Amino acid sequence: MIWLGLDIMGKAFVSCILIGILTGLMGVFVVRMRLSAIGYSMSHGAFAGAALGVAASTNPLMTAMLFASLVAFIIGPLADKARLHPDTITSIIFPLNMALAFIFLTLTPEIGLTSQVANVLWGSIISITNNDLVYMTTLCALTLSIIYFTWKELFAIMYNRKLAEADGVNTKPFIYLIILLSGVVITLSLKLVGGLLIYALLFNPASTALQFLEDMRKIIIASPLIGVATNLLGLTASLYLDLPVGSCIVVVSTIVFAFSVLVSPKRRRSMTEESR
Amino acid sequence: MNNRNVMIRLENVSTVYEGERMAALRSLSLSVKEKELVYIVGPNASGKTTLLETINGLLKPYKGSVTVSGLNMMTHGRRLRAEIGYIPQDFIVEPGEPYLALDVVVMGRYGKIGVLNKTSERDREKAHDAMKLLGIDDLSHRPMGKLSGGQQQKVMIARALAKEPRILLMDEPFSNLDPESKTRIPLIIAETHEKKGLTTIIVTHETHRIVKTCSRVILLDDGRIVADRNPEEDQQTLGTYT
Repeated sequence: MIWLGLDIMGKAFVSCILIGILTGLMGVFVVRMRLSAIGYSMSHGAFAGAALGVAASTNPLMTAMLFASLVAFIIGPLADKARLHPDTITSIIFPLNMALAFIFLTLTPEIGLTSQVANVLWGSIISITNNDLVYMTTLCALTLSIIYFTWKELFAIMYNRKLAEADGVNTKPFIYLIILLSGVVITLSLKLVGGLLIYALLFNPASTALQFLEDMRKIIIASPLIGVATNLLGLTASLYLDLPVGSCIVVVSTIVFAFSVLVSPKRRRSMTEESR
Repeated sequence: MNNRNVMIRLENVSTVYEGERMAALRSLSLSVKEKELVYIVGPNASGKTTLLETINGLLKPYKGSVTVSGLNMMTHGRRLRAEIGYIPQDFIVEPGEPYLALDVVVMGRYGKIGVLNKTSERDREKAHDAMKLLGIDDLSHRPMGKLSGGQQQKVMIARALAKEPRILLMDEPFSNLDPESKTRIPLIIAETHEKKGLTTIIVTHETHRIVKTCSRVILLDDGRIVADRNPEEDQQTLGTYT
């Protein structure tokens, strides 16, 4: 791959683009399928997993992936089987993840808030390796292929799950697939913004696109583009201001979202209709 | 009519909504023959919506059995639902809903098209035909969120018809329509029912919208069938309840 010879900054820019595409795409499904709380739980699950990896001196990426997948399994099929409402299960899983993360970090006091722990918490773009870029590119290709082949079903579920079921679509496997893919995307994005901020990358671009566009096909294209643009803007801002990359990306994407709310033609129209 | 096969059969069915203790349907038995046009009427909370959701398998009965076209709904639900056109009650979307009306109508055919298969030109043609029938083809490329309640309801009816179903289940399909459409749409549905040989069940509280050609009017109260008659036989009974 052409970027295997890139320097640190080159890798940072490429990872911003790849993660922008991935989180922008998955964010549309997470927001429209009302899985936001689930995304939140998984991002903290990945954080707890990475903390375990640091404490156990193993690859934090692998343990983060394991935890995110475990959380995806618990809040997907297992919660369905136990007939637990998504709100209930995520409200329980979220603090548990945080508690586990702190336990793992304090189990090995010699680690403390070392750079490795800080990387997990806040992200560290300079620690992105060639392998990470290969994983991200593979995941991008996989995610785009899955969306292409299952678009019809995902499109219907995003509109209304009950109606999709009434039309004979088996909605469960598709929702589990989105939950699992989100978990993997979250894990691979940890190095960019860290476990505490990753949720913003998933939520903000999709929510911004939804403020402007009235056709879901355009939203699924616009959201990753917004993700890429805000990631690159955030990275540039962090370089100029000498501030953490992840925090800058989240601040930029939040400003972009706030601006979109202010100028949203859709929002203005619905407010005018309500005041009539 | 008597020689026709039974299309929908409920035997001793009791259904309860999740989290509720009271049964919404109580040991209800019902047979609907193919090509029948049946209206379900009754007071609020009498179990009308529950009955439709039980027939199409969205709600599982805790007692009794539901068979459609001779197949058990619990074991063949998905396959059967691909042949059922269903319109839920009061389905109105939020103003910003980013779905075009045509997309929503085509979506009705997704169960038929099958997993991983793409929509074809024929699917879009069928969607346009259904929209033309209801006089809303000009709304095809407008977002659902921008349509009025009545227009959205017509889109939902078009969605059910575009599916080319064998069975139509409609829950208060006329409630949001304007006065002119409230007269016209029931007749269009009755004509389509007749022309396509559908088995149709319509839940309504507007008894004056019941078309003369309908086979039966069933009165539901407290989860039980309290009357099952030809509409001309017992207008008085129906009137007391609606």
